[in-house]
Amino acid sequence: MSLRIASRFALRELRGGLRGFRIFLACLTLGVAAIAAIGTVRASIEAGLASEGAALLGGDAELDFTYRFADPDERAWMEEVSDAVSEIADFRSMAVVGDARALTQIKAVDTAYPLVGTTGLEPQMPLPDALGTQDGLPGAVMERVLIDRLGLSVGDTFALGTQDFRLSAVLTREPDGAASGFTLGPRTIVLTQGLANSSLLAPGTLFSTKYRLDLPPDADLERVSQDAANVFADMGVRWTDARNGAPGVSEFVDRLGAFLVLVGLSGLAVGGVGVSSAVQSYLSGKTSVIATLRTLGAERRTIFQTYFLQIGALAILGVMLGVALGTILPTLFAPLIEANLPIPAEFAVYPAPLFEAALYGLLTAFIFTLWPLARTENIRAATLFRDALETGRKLPAARYLFTIAAALALLLAAATWFSGTWRLTLMTAGGIAGALLLLAVTAQIIRVLSKRGKSLAHGHPKLRWALSAISGTREGAASIILSLGLGLSVLAAVGQIDGNLRNAITGNLPEVAPSYFFVDIQKDQIDGYTQRLENDPAVRRIQSAPMLRGIITKINDKPARETAGGHWVLEGDRGVTYSEQMPENTRLTEGNWWPRNYTGAPLISFAAEEAEEMGLKIGDTMTINILGRDITGTLTNFREVDFSSAGIGFILSMNPQALAGAPHSFISTVYAEEQAEAEILRDLASRYPNITAIRVRDAIDRVADALGSLAAATSYGAAVTILTGFLVLLGAAAAGTRARIYEAAVLKTLGASRRSIVGSFVIRSLLLGLCAGLVALACGIASGWAVSHYILDTSFSIIWPSALGIIVGGVAATSIASLVFIWGPLNAKPSNILRTQE
Amino acid sequence: MSDIVYTLKDAALSLDGNAGRVDILHGITLEVHRGESIGLIGPSGSGKSSLLMLMGGLEKPTGGTVTALGHDLGPMSEDDLARFRRTHMGVVFQSFHLIPTMTALENVATPLELAGDKNAYQKATAELEVVGLSHRADHYPAQMSGGEQQRVALARAAAPRPDILLADEPTGNLDGANGAAIIDLLFGLRDRHGATLILVTHSTALANQCDRIVRLSDGRVTDFEAAAE
Repeated sequence: MSLRIASRFALRELRGGLRGFRIFLACLTLGVAAIAAIGTVRASIEAGLASEGAALLGGDAELDFTYRFADPDERAWMEEVSDAVSEIADFRSMAVVGDARALTQIKAVDTAYPLVGTTGLEPQMPLPDALGTQDGLPGAVMERVLIDRLGLSVGDTFALGTQDFRLSAVLTREPDGAASGFTLGPRTIVLTQGLANSSLLAPGTLFSTKYRLDLPPDADLERVSQDAANVFADMGVRWTDARNGAPGVSEFVDRLGAFLVLVGLSGLAVGGVGVSSAVQSYLSGKTSVIATLRTLGAERRTIFQTYFLQIGALAILGVMLGVALGTILPTLFAPLIEANLPIPAEFAVYPAPLFEAALYGLLTAFIFTLWPLARTENIRAATLFRDALETGRKLPAARYLFTIAAALALLLAAATWFSGTWRLTLMTAGGIAGALLLLAVTAQIIRVLSKRGKSLAHGHPKLRWALSAISGTREGAASIILSLGLGLSVLAAVGQIDGNLRNAITGNLPEVAPSYFFVDIQKDQIDGYTQRLENDPAVRRIQSAPMLRGIITKINDKPARETAGGHWVLEGDRGVTYSEQMPENTRLTEGNWWPRNYTGAPLISFAAEEAEEMGLKIGDTMTINILGRDITGTLTNFREVDFSSAGIGFILSMNPQALAGAPHSFISTVYAEEQAEAEILRDLASRYPNITAIRVRDAIDRVADALGSLAAATSYGAAVTILTGFLVLLGAAAAGTRARIYEAAVLKTLGASRRSIVGSFVIRSLLLGLCAGLVALACGIASGWAVSHYILDTSFSIIWPSALGIIVGGVAATSIASLVFIWGPLNAKPSNILRTQE
Repeated sequence: MSDIVYTLKDAALSLDGNAGRVDILHGITLEVHRGESIGLIGPSGSGKSSLLMLMGGLEKPTGGTVTALGHDLGPMSEDDLARFRRTHMGVVFQSFHLIPTMTALENVATPLELAGDKNAYQKATAELEVVGLSHRADHYPAQMSGGEQQRVALARAAAPRPDILLADEPTGNLDGANGAAIIDLLFGLRDRHGATLILVTHSTALANQCDRIVRLSDGRVTDFEAAAE
């Protein structure tokens, strides 16, 4: 009964149109659209990755060996289960043309490559033709960036190790490129047999081999993968198949998508502030209607339902518009997005992300509107007779507070469920809640200070008017600080984290980082290599260590993942070294180094921090698969490893005897004067062509570029938050216009010039913008510090350009929003305004 | 059924405002009989409107009791009071207080709808006819003059056939001619339905049209007198 009447009343009220609800709708639509669009793009990429799994992987399945080729038995199994097998060796080396050298990631293939997809070459030709031997020189194809770096042209000759190659074409498309992940050097493809005389791929060289399998059409991937797991158990071989052809990429897309959706949620939270103030302002205009209905006998429930239904209908409209926009935009821009993505995407309407966005939108609208809606219950019929003595309760009834808390919990649960990471969700939610709280408290402090400051501003009317406007409740200092502040906080946090991350990687380089990493130094080369560098006065320090790679398969005889979960150390293979004595500058945190000439059972020295994270203790056993052979050792000591210095940091070190007989090479870092670097490189490269040099600065630039793209993606997400914040700001400015017109009319009557009125507006905007910017900066710095300190484990310093940008942004946004609505008050004719107010 | 509609015993009203507690009414004792019309007069701030609010259950007494139609209004909840009003009372305001998003007909039908009356619209149409505004049924308040709006408000107050009509300066916002017409309608409705009328006014002439005048000053009843007529 009550609901029927309420819906009838609600419909009558809605006949008035959407006036007063434009900001409400814009905030919800924008927030939902951003999340729906991010979700749609993510779903499109995931669909693309799923359907193109085989093409991305370069076959129906792949077996990845570290550091070795498959033995005949293993190869026989592969040939038995598949129609065709393709073998690829992947490693880093130097491409050399005269004195010019450049790091390249070599893919050495067989004639079966690629099993799936086609290689793009310029000029167009079949890959076997491009790689085949011509005039006694094996062929090679290279990415354009490397060709340019070496100053090559198609037809020219270059060397890999001790073997010359003919550049036969430019590599424009690598069919299985996306699955290769992050590489330090541009790609070169050659035939494996062409490397026979290159002195590359010698025992101990760092390389991985991938065997792509073309399975029969009726093959059951699940069954074959199970067979592979049995055949290659504990052999350090990784299986990937077309069901998830690029696991690294899809995990990255998934994580980045989840993170961006959470950034989108902060935009929705800002929108929530706008939605809440729009509803508050709408309902305050309805006070007399509500009081009249109460006088006529409407129960509190009827009143609440009447306005709940109205706001609910508008929220559904806003969410629907947002979902529509979030579906249409990615589809419209699909060609552009696809052209810029290195991975396939299948754009379509995906219900799941749209449902997620709609759910977030509805819950946010519910959470932010229930508070003002609940307060309609406190409006009494007596309000019609007296405003001055109206003292309604400030807080809504307990049942509403409980409902708001339950809705908030549901929102968090949904966000955790959809993002798949409760930690990130709770951190984001905590950040948003903390920032909102800090902003609300700041807004209150600003109001109180403005009120007190008024007495100090005697004789400065413009300042006093500005302070009066800020301290007056109706001017919405709170909604301005909240809406602008949260958006700026997200942007400030992104700026500080990104800046500090870059600083951590690049900023400290000259002091602590080496100039070069040299890898693949053979045992018989290490002495000559060391001698050459030790005699060079420009070399400050050399640090060399034997280098093997291994996968930790078991801890205390149980599968390692069971004991240490998904710790990063267990993902893929890790560098392993050995050392008779404890290296210089090593600090043990627990246990002792093994004695000299120790020949007993294998002993392991492990990185202290990682050991703690993995729950390891001295005396635990660990099985490491190196070159297909299991070595089980006992943890003897934990030592500090500083990865941030970019020196050699091995998680695992063993006693020499434990690794005796395993073929391996050496890795070395060289700290040299910058001007001598080129000479050292030239000299070493000509003496030892098989050695690969990685210039640390180049490698770091590649990492910094990749991080830059991530920061850019996050900034786009934050931009939606800022845009929503600006809309809320416009809403607050618009809502205050009537009061300001009246104020300006009174001031004009009292003799104020237009210039002084503008001056007062400007001061108000500057003060509020400055405050919002400062609080946002404080939030950004706090988040930046927390992320640097607790997550990245790096030092923190304030990134001033970003910080100043945030403050300027805050001032600019409030000024623009204020100036948009300044003309009304400025042009107000006092006589008209004051007459209508009577 | 008892002949007594209102019994006020030592009724008092104090309100807490930003400036502290304000005592508005003190020790009001009053009895009103069925069908009687009472004129509440007194200077501004004397407590006339506050007394009307107590009698309408819009404020609760902070001292003493207010009994209407045998119900003690003090202990009743806000919702109980709302239900009581929609069944037994009609209220007319100085500022009309029509709901701007509703047409004249919908405004008049509102209390009937709230009371669950299935014939709300027929009754509202008939009531608009009584006040001479059937031709304005589909007009919104903003499309009507002040006098017309107050006639709609009168129809709205009278539509549920209330036992009690409460009017707070119903002519305060109207010119002389419109004011006189409204008073004629108000008393006509009272006579037609036999309702008890409590009328707040500044005008002694208007108060004199009532059966009895209650004079207030500083929140106290200073005088009861029979009307001059």
